[in-house]
Amino acid sequence: MAELTLRKADQPQKGKTWPKPEGATRLREFHVYRYDPDKADNPRIDTYFVDLDNCGPMILDALLYIKNNTDPTLTLRRSCREGICGSCSMNINGLNTLACTKGMDDSSGPIKIYPLPHMPVVKDLVPDLTNFYAQHRAIEPWLKTTSPTPEKEWTQSVENRAKLDGLYECILCACCSTSCPSYWWNGEKYLGPAALLQAYRWLIDSRDETQPERLDNLEDPFKLYRCHTIMNCAKVCPKGLNPAKAIAQIKKMMVERKAA
Amino acid sequence: MRESVITTETIANPKSRYGSANASTRHFITQRVTGAINILFLALLLFIVVRLAGQDRADVVGLLGRWWIGVPFAALIANVAIHMRNGMRDTLEDYLAGSMYRLAMLLNTLFCLAVALLGAGAVLKIVFWG
Repeated sequence: MAELTLRKADQPQKGKTWPKPEGATRLREFHVYRYDPDKADNPRIDTYFVDLDNCGPMILDALLYIKNNTDPTLTLRRSCREGICGSCSMNINGLNTLACTKGMDDSSGPIKIYPLPHMPVVKDLVPDLTNFYAQHRAIEPWLKTTSPTPEKEWTQSVENRAKLDGLYECILCACCSTSCPSYWWNGEKYLGPAALLQAYRWLIDSRDETQPERLDNLEDPFKLYRCHTIMNCAKVCPKGLNPAKAIAQIKKMMVERKAA
Repeated sequence: MRESVITTETIANPKSRYGSANASTRHFITQRVTGAINILFLALLLFIVVRLAGQDRADVVGLLGRWWIGVPFAALIANVAIHMRNGMRDTLEDYLAGSMYRLAMLLNTLFCLAVALLGAGAVLKIVFWG
């Protein structure tokens, strides 16, 4: 049954305002979501100030500045700092994106940073992606064949390889899935844009020989058809991919299979 | 909230199914086809609404009594009812589950059926019997 309101214990409250760095002349204000599961307190929004003269240009630089200089308890995921690993995905000024590729000068005024929306929060800016990864596993993102394995490798023509462009680049940052209202509402049943983008990537791989089985696995009122073409996924993808188009292609394959 | 929804079984077996596989694609096709037909018939609907604005019953009978207007209009009402039923199904699936969903879906079907029968029947009565 649907829950239409946020529980009182989940509602963020105004948090602490941390002191400004001493001697700083160029400051930028950050409002950051904080939640500690070990405390009974509500989530809170803390205010931090970053000295722009001693910090890199990206949001991730600012968060690391805060962690290193102001508040070491601030928790976030990060790794590559160049848009490849997808670890630092979060909601910045209302838009899901990667903190490492989002510049501070993209907006004016205080910068609001929250974890990815509608996901259980492990701590601060770290969401629990267990279900997201389980959904990715559910589409079996690996080559499945029935022919005997060739001596050297499974080959593919240049044309067939080109069909995978715009699909294989996904870094599983979860920006798309967590921006999707259908995923917010049916996150445990609807596979979400990221998993479906990968599903399509394997459906059209010329080397894969289990397309009917893969389509069978997706044919379900929730897994695939909860996509209502809202297109938030395509808008937020930090890699510029279009999961909505891939989902539309899967639906087309379903219809063609039905009509055949 | 999420902990109560996602069970360990869901994580362990993310391939679990939630409904009829065959019906899901059929519903998708029906929804798109009826939606496309609705768009095609939109001009007819607008024509009838504008043409009959402020008119009396005799004018309604005069316009809808022509079979090439009345019969497509009756078909449009039936088509809209089918589209409405499918659209409501999506909404009900979002908010309800189990026996509550089945009950709501039954009421949805009966309501849409009544709309289709009464609406199309009324128009066809005008077409064939005035």
